[in-house]
Amino acid sequence: MKPDSLIKLVSELLDLPLYDVEGKYCGIVDDIELTGGPGKDLKLKALLVGPGAYTGRLPGWAMWLVEKIAGSRVTRVPMDKVHSIGAAVHLECSGWQLGLHKSERRAAEWIPHEGAL
Amino acid sequence: MNPIELTLGIMTAVGGFVDISQVVFAALAGSVFGYSLIWVFALSTVGIIVYGEMSGRVAAVAKQPVFNLIRHRLGLKLGFITLAASVLSTLITCAAEIGGLGLLLRYLTGAPYLLMATISAAALMGCIWVLPFKWIERIFGLLGLLMLVFVFALTAIDPPWEKIAAGFLPQIPPGLSSKELLNFSYFAVAIFSAVMFPYETYFYSSGGIEEEWGPKDLPTNRITAIVGMALGSLLSIAMLASAAQLFGPAGIGPQIPGTVALQTAIPFGPIGLVLALLGILFAVAGAAIETCMANAYSIAQFFGWIWGRHKKPWEAPRFTIAWVVLLLLSLAIVLTGVDPMSLVQYAIVFSILVLPLTYLPLMLLADDRKYMGKYVNGRLAKVLGWLFFVLIVLMALAALPLFLITSGGQG
Repeated sequence: MKPDSLIKLVSELLDLPLYDVEGKYCGIVDDIELTGGPGKDLKLKALLVGPGAYTGRLPGWAMWLVEKIAGSRVTRVPMDKVHSIGAAVHLECSGWQLGLHKSERRAAEWIPHEGAL
Repeated sequence: MNPIELTLGIMTAVGGFVDISQVVFAALAGSVFGYSLIWVFALSTVGIIVYGEMSGRVAAVAKQPVFNLIRHRLGLKLGFITLAASVLSTLITCAAEIGGLGLLLRYLTGAPYLLMATISAAALMGCIWVLPFKWIERIFGLLGLLMLVFVFALTAIDPPWEKIAAGFLPQIPPGLSSKELLNFSYFAVAIFSAVMFPYETYFYSSGGIEEEWGPKDLPTNRITAIVGMALGSLLSIAMLASAAQLFGPAGIGPQIPGTVALQTAIPFGPIGLVLALLGILFAVAGAAIETCMANAYSIAQFFGWIWGRHKKPWEAPRFTIAWVVLLLLSLAIVLTGVDPMSLVQYAIVFSILVLPLTYLPLMLLADDRKYMGKYVNGRLAKVLGWLFFVLIVLMALAALPLFLITSGGQG
C-alpha cells in the first residue's frame, strides 16, 4: 500500500511499527495529523511518534503514569517521508534525520559503554 | 537442525514450567491429590505448545512480537491495561524467583537468605549485561537440564506406572468434600495458569526475533515449542508423581523447594540432593532472567523503544534501563522480607487475568491471511487455539473467586 492509497486509519495505521530506510526500528505510529476542514477532503499530513501523542487516547491517570515511565516527547513524521504502509510503516529516509532516535541517544548517555560481549 | 537451536524452547519451558512456583506447586499437588492432577499439566502443556508455536510463527513471518500485536489489535487503552497487569504479575513472579534463589543458595552455603538473594540479583544482572542472548539461553537452558535428575529419581523409586498413566485422563478424585473439591479446583486453575504464564510467550516470541527467525525457521519453531514445552511438562509431572508416592502417604506437604529436592535424595543420596538443588537453582535463575527480560521486552515493545539483548546494552539504552530497574524492583520486594511462596500465589492469580488479553490478539493475527500469507493458522491450530481460548476465559473467571474462597489453596 502506498501513502496516498485509501487507508482504514484505526485498523491499518495506528499502532503500527515504524522502520527507516536502513531497516532500523524507529518506534510506533502513536497518532496522526490530518488536514482539511468542512466540505474539504481529509488528508493525512503526518504521523506522530512518541508517548506525548497518547493524549486523548488514554485516560488522565494512565497518561500521568506513561509520562513518568516514557516521557511526553512527540516527533512528527511528514507523510512525504513515508515509503509504504503494510504490516509496518516504512520510511524513505533515515530515522536520525527526523529526530526519531533522540530519546534513545539521551538515554544512552546514562549507560556504561563497556563490559558486554 | 542443530540440537543446540532447541535451547530457546528449553530455556522458555524450563524457566516457564519449572520456576519456583511450579517446583513447589507440582510437589504439593502430588502430595495432596495424588496423581489426579497430572491431566491438568498435560492439557495446559498442549495449550502452551499451541500458543508458543503460534507466537514463534508470527514472530518469524510478520516480525511482530506479542506486545506489538496486543497494542495494535486491542488498541492503546486496553493494551495499556494489559501491559500494566502483565508487568505487575511478572514483576511479582520475578521477585518470587529471586527469593527462591536466595533460599536455594542458603541451603547450599548456609549463608543468610537476604544476602544470598541480593548476591543472586547481582549475578543475574551481570549475566544479562555481559552475555549475548544466545549465550544466556544456552547456559540456563542446558544447565536447567540438571532437573532431569527428578525424572531418573521417579523411575528409581519404582512408581505405580498404571496410576500415573491413569492420571492423564481428566478426572476429579472421588469422595472429596465440598471444601476439598474447591481446593482441587483451585489447584487445577493455578496449575493451568502457571503452565500458561503469559511471560513465556512474550519471551519466546521476542527470542525468535532476537534470533532473527524467518519463514525458513518455522520447522525449528515447531520442534522447539513441542520439545521444549513437553520437556518442562515432563519435569513437573515427575515431581508431582514422586511427591504422590513419597510425601503424600507420609502426610508431608512440601512448602519450600528444599523439601521438594529431597525426592531425589531418597533414591540417590546426597549426590541426588545436590544435583536436584543445582538443577532447581539454574532453572529458577533462568526463570528470573526470563521474567525480567519478558517485562522489559513488553514495556519496550509497547512504547516503541529499540529493544533486544542481541544488541549491546548501550545500543538499546531504554530497554537496558528497563530491565535493570525491573530487576532492582524485584530485589526490593524480596528485601521487604515477604515470603516468596506467597508472592507466587498472587502472581498466578494476576497472570490468569491477563491470559485472555494476551492470547486473543495473537490468535487474531495468526488467523489473518493478510499478515501471515500462506503461514496463516491451519485447521488444527485454529480449532485448538479457540478451544484453549474458551478454556482460558473460563479459568480467568474462576481464578479470583477460588483464590479468595480457598485462601490460595490453604483450604
